[in-house]
Amino acid sequence: MRTPLSTLTPADRAQLKQRMRKPVLTFLALLALLAVNVTLGATLPFAHVWAIELGVVALMAATILLVSMEVIEEPPLIRLFSGLGFFWVCIMVGMTLTDYLGR
Amino acid sequence: MSEGLAKGVGVARAHHFESVAQQREATTLGIWAWLITELLLFSALFLVALILRIQHPEATVAAARHLKFWIGAANTVVLICSSLTMSMAIEFSRMGWQRAMVRAMLATAALGTLFLVLKGYEYYADWDEHMMPFLSSRPFALEETPAARLFVNLYYVATMLHAVHLFTGITLLLGMTWMAAKAGFLSRHQNWIEIYGLYWHFIDLVWILAFPILYVVNRGT
Repeated sequence: MRTPLSTLTPADRAQLKQRMRKPVLTFLALLALLAVNVTLGATLPFAHVWAIELGVVALMAATILLVSMEVIEEPPLIRLFSGLGFFWVCIMVGMTLTDYLGR
Repeated sequence: MSEGLAKGVGVARAHHFESVAQQREATTLGIWAWLITELLLFSALFLVALILRIQHPEATVAAARHLKFWIGAANTVVLICSSLTMSMAIEFSRMGWQRAMVRAMLATAALGTLFLVLKGYEYYADWDEHMMPFLSSRPFALEETPAARLFVNLYYVATMLHAVHLFTGITLLLGMTWMAAKAGFLSRHQNWIEIYGLYWHFIDLVWILAFPILYVVNRGT
């Protein structure tokens, strides 16, 4: 098995760069989205800013699910399983809020 | 995913599976089945937070403004960093770079521990500000808004449950790192790293949801 990082060949470095591209870009995207939410939360620039904050959270969650957890690359059965989990959550949240918001 | 594995890296087939591919898919499906139950558990708690906001908006905002917003934000950064190191560990395992993988796993555990230390400090600051309504010995700081007690109690249930998951995750990670450092691990059990990575990313996902729902959204009126 390989390898101390200090003894990398040019081929190793190229492979490392190619393999780490996706995790690093995901990391930067998540940090940027968090920065947006923290700025909005700290400054509260307008009423109903929560709608934008929840939108940013949805983007962050989708990024983790699809890219970090690699759902987008999984076989269809696993994609269906993970999707169903969020579908149940939508049913639970939707039906409950229908009650509370409709009173 | 099993594509892009280096030579000598793989999974030893258990006798009850027809192929390694079937074994990999079954283990991934298994962890997802469990993660879905966890998702429903935490979602119910977050839903209660939204209902409290609808039912008692003033009390919820008053309680949320006592939360340590900047510690919560710093902890979110820590967990996002730990997600990066976990993703790196997974990639190193696929490349067969065992030593780098072990280091990335240790870094992940260290970042998880840092999160718990910051969380512990946050709880101490809450205690100091009389923001623990369940302690009969210390009068609650928001006694004049009784509904705030509901939100603060929910905050402790949700964050402590998350902290228990994180503590369990760190313990499992350290145990697996010890096993993963041994010769031959990546030729027999490479998918353990990927399966564990799903759990770690899920812990991160739960906090990504918890921070805005508890700390951020309720700051505004």
